[in-house]
Amino acid sequence: MPNISVTINGITTSVREGVTVLEACELAGVEIPTLCYHPDLSLAGNCRMCLVEVEGWRTLAIACVTPVTPNMVIHTHSKKVRKARRTVLKLLLANHNVNCPECERNRNCELQELSEKHNITTNEYQTTPKPVSVEEVSPGVMRDNSRCIMCTRCVRTCEELQSVAVIKPVGRSAEIKISTFMDRGLDGVACAQCGQCINRCPTGALFETSEVRQIWEALEDPEKFVVVQTAPAVRVGIAEALGLPTGRSTGQMVASIRGLGFDRVLDTDFSADLTIIEEGHELIGRLGQALQAGDPNVHLPMITSCSPGWIKFIEHKYPHLLSNLSTCKSPQQMFGALVKTYLAEKEGIDPANIISVSIMPCTAKKYEKERPEMNASGYKDVDYVLTTRELASMIEEAGIDFEHIAEEKFDRWMGHSTGAGVIFGATGGVMEAALRTAYEVVTGHEIPFEGLNVTPVRGIEGIKEAAITMPDRMADGFEFLAGVTLKVAVAHGLSNAERLMKKVSAGEADYHFIEIMACPGGCLGGGGQPIPTSPEIRRKRAEAIYAEDAALHFRKSHANPEIQLLYAEYLEKPLGHKSHELLHTTYTPRKD
Amino acid sequence: MSRTPEEIVRASLEKHGSGREAVMEILTDVNRELGCIPEEAIIATASAVGVSNAEIYSVVSFYSFFSIKPRGRHIVRLCSTISCVMSGSAEVLEAVRDDLGIREGETTSDGRITLETTSCIGLCDQAPAMLVNDEPHTRLTPETARAIIAGLE
Amino acid sequence: MAAGKRLLLGDDQPSIGEALIKAMDMSPADVVFEVRESDIRGRGGAGFPTGIKWNLAGAASGDHKMVICNADEGEPGTFKDRVLIEKMAWKLLEGMTIAGYAIGSSHGIIYLRAEYPYLVPILEKARQDLISQGLLGDDIQGRGFSFNIEIRSGAGAYVCGEETSLIESLEGKRGEPRNKPPFPVNSGYLARPTVVNNVETFAAVPHILLGGAEWYQGLGRDDCSGTKLFSISGDVENPGVYELPMGAALRELLELSGAKDIAAVQVGGASGSTVTPDELDKPMSFSALPPGGSVVVFNSSRDMLDVLENFMEFFVHESCGQCTPCREGNRRLLDIIRSIRAGEIASRDDLKPFFLLADVMKAGSKCGLGQTSPNCFVDIITKFIAFPGDKEGA
Repeated sequence: MPNISVTINGITTSVREGVTVLEACELAGVEIPTLCYHPDLSLAGNCRMCLVEVEGWRTLAIACVTPVTPNMVIHTHSKKVRKARRTVLKLLLANHNVNCPECERNRNCELQELSEKHNITTNEYQTTPKPVSVEEVSPGVMRDNSRCIMCTRCVRTCEELQSVAVIKPVGRSAEIKISTFMDRGLDGVACAQCGQCINRCPTGALFETSEVRQIWEALEDPEKFVVVQTAPAVRVGIAEALGLPTGRSTGQMVASIRGLGFDRVLDTDFSADLTIIEEGHELIGRLGQALQAGDPNVHLPMITSCSPGWIKFIEHKYPHLLSNLSTCKSPQQMFGALVKTYLAEKEGIDPANIISVSIMPCTAKKYEKERPEMNASGYKDVDYVLTTRELASMIEEAGIDFEHIAEEKFDRWMGHSTGAGVIFGATGGVMEAALRTAYEVVTGHEIPFEGLNVTPVRGIEGIKEAAITMPDRMADGFEFLAGVTLKVAVAHGLSNAERLMKKVSAGEADYHFIEIMACPGGCLGGGGQPIPTSPEIRRKRAEAIYAEDAALHFRKSHANPEIQLLYAEYLEKPLGHKSHELLHTTYTPRKD
Repeated sequence: MSRTPEEIVRASLEKHGSGREAVMEILTDVNRELGCIPEEAIIATASAVGVSNAEIYSVVSFYSFFSIKPRGRHIVRLCSTISCVMSGSAEVLEAVRDDLGIREGETTSDGRITLETTSCIGLCDQAPAMLVNDEPHTRLTPETARAIIAGLE
Repeated sequence: MAAGKRLLLGDDQPSIGEALIKAMDMSPADVVFEVRESDIRGRGGAGFPTGIKWNLAGAASGDHKMVICNADEGEPGTFKDRVLIEKMAWKLLEGMTIAGYAIGSSHGIIYLRAEYPYLVPILEKARQDLISQGLLGDDIQGRGFSFNIEIRSGAGAYVCGEETSLIESLEGKRGEPRNKPPFPVNSGYLARPTVVNNVETFAAVPHILLGGAEWYQGLGRDDCSGTKLFSISGDVENPGVYELPMGAALRELLELSGAKDIAAVQVGGASGSTVTPDELDKPMSFSALPPGGSVVVFNSSRDMLDVLENFMEFFVHESCGQCTPCREGNRRLLDIIRSIRAGEIASRDDLKPFFLLADVMKAGSKCGLGQTSPNCFVDIITKFIAFPGDKEGA
């Protein structure tokens, strides 16, 4: 597209034809307020916040959808524009439940921020606020329509990014609201509990089901031994949630959590490594059955099962593919099962007194821990799940100076991290970690990528594919894989997952192994991560994850000394009897 | 023998195809035959055209003539827009309400009649007017309206 | 205009198919040219030049172009399209067929409002008649041009009279207006180039083809072309549909219909203008008093605040709820109307924020509904409502 000339607030500039007025203004350094616009989503143009004046136009133009035309003359803060924007804001506030101190999004609310910027102090249109409505309750995600401004970002997220499409506008005009099929609530429909809608809500209409209160109570109870695990993506998200730049902050995070009073601070990376061992052997087993024994009933491609939002999605939408899922529990639940068994033994603590907490970048993990099968230890394996955001709020409440706190290390037995465990937090990370281990198991050699970086499965592309051809000489017992080209695929975001599953269902995919993460970017873009989110923010978090991987001494799951100890002392061998009891699970077909 | 919601949807799909653009036709068929669009019909329509249940529910909820709630065997829609109001539709409404013992939006306990008010139905030259199912009735008075409604089985 | 000269509804009508056959003797481009030269503007209310629309759709790239007839007449007080379909359904179908020929489309849809179910058999019969006469369907008159028309129903939503909402509804969705661009002529129904015209517009097309652009233009007055159907109701002796030159003075229509003791007239429906007895000589033209299809007369016994409340209740009920100014604005206007009724508003000055709101709705709403719904508020409050604090002569 050629460049054209447009004039913004009296300054003529050259922009590429086809860009929107909003994009042109952004390039020119002119800020336009938006609400329904989101860089991850299609354009709705319904909030009317981004109105601008275009000379020669009868009406105001909305900057987010209007393409620039040659010699367009745009005014972004003329009297007319200013009045319109202020009026739109006042209309949105007129029946809004403006009880900011009670709101999860206080100080991080786009409506609040715009009201402040536009100096809205009185409202001539004030009317009775919409009543608080928390009829939409579910284990992971809650909605209060009294805070909803009908921007439909959640609706577009659910449909466009996640192919879930369980929330829609219902009714019309003043009676309109976002709701579910037959108003059943998120718990009554095929909601994946991924929480991506929360990440894109400009206000506090969507938020996680909080367990902060229960955790304070546990910490304050001297009888309880409170153990916490922290997921890989939390350490690259927590700083953002505390108003600091994106970056690695594992040491500060550990110190802060310990400061809150947890008895043990442990690492989900440990059980990510464990997942790799179990899942890697499961894959090799399936490949052996298929390639060596020629069993036509082997379920390939094998699909990862770490992401509970993904699990709920496939249970609802592709129940016929459940046998393709790895039987491995997610790292959170493997960890939970071991906390009240292995760790209890190691620490000499009665498992009945252990409170098992996990800190996750995820809302679906709150749902996952409630699944009835997740009590392999004889107790509820994970008692409470906090999101990254909830952890931040606890750190703030405790007055911990996260930025300046001296770094500390995880506690032992289940606290050792490898780079392979860390990259579970990014799309492609499980695949890369699995390849690092599985390749070495079957060939006896390290995977032939420079610095162990399996770059084809990294990056932000929605669906990634890679093929790795095995050498002619294999390790003993794996000769059947000699010369075989292993085909793998990676998808993140449930819409991309759905595209892959359609291919698999139709028999059009010849992959051996597929990694799926429910959230865009993987767990680093999870529904429990700091708000806002955007491709740029997720890119920075991914950089931090890979930097953490590169900086760690051990990069391969099977090299993790604590994993080696676990097998030697407790589990005996991968896919062994104890593993099956504690670390593997089953799935349930669910109605759409 | 009345057809089930699923049967109506199936028959409608045969007539109109299973493209997304058949949705209004399918829903109209169900709504006309059953007086409402029950949950089963929404599920059947959603799965036939390949969208979520919520999506069809959302569509149904948008249109005044569609109802999720069961309605009576006859649906009386009295116009409440200006020309009809000027010609006495309020009196007609009151008479009908008194007669049936229900308010607009409600159905008689015997399931005979649902009473609704509606935006302009384009019979302003013969106001006040109402639709009884698909039939227009015009130049109503409280008496004629009562008589028409009394004649409905 | 004498009764016999009436075009759209008069007794003296061309024979069925005459205009279509004439059109097919011309090149499609010439048909578009004729319609463009006639200066006919959309009869639904917005008044976009029909010929330009056809030209754009004809020139647009894309297969399966569509001709859609907007028979969703929902503007309060409008019933002209109902009468036109009752009396001359064939003419609408023929106009659509000519449009199909002109833009290179073989598929038409009539979107009929749910409130007119009794017109379905009439349209269906007209369609069958035309098919049996070889004037619709495959290979019309052996000329190799095929055109089929489907009749589809709405389900009760005023906003579907807005063309992109109508298209959304036809696609099986909520009738929510789209962002523009793209315009339907480039990307309309199922993303195909689509012409959407009102019933009356299509019905005028055969006359334009037969009489010629220049003749048609000459039928209008002021700066307008052609004739226009007006639905008139309210306080008149003879409510009904009248055909007058486009641009005729409002007074002429009022006299024909026997309006007396006129206190106010609503021209163009609830979304149009409310005029005082001083304004009756204004021409009903796009530039002076856009007529849409509806004129409602109020005599001196009517309380204009009642009228305003009724209109605003209508808009609150019919807003799609998608965009902020329309969803929230109409409701706030209705609230303030009720406050006026309750005597809570002492002076016109107290309403300043609501006049500002009206301006913002007009300039900032997504579609014509929210852009025009405040008109009645501004007109009626300004011209007809007195406040205790008003100064003498205000």
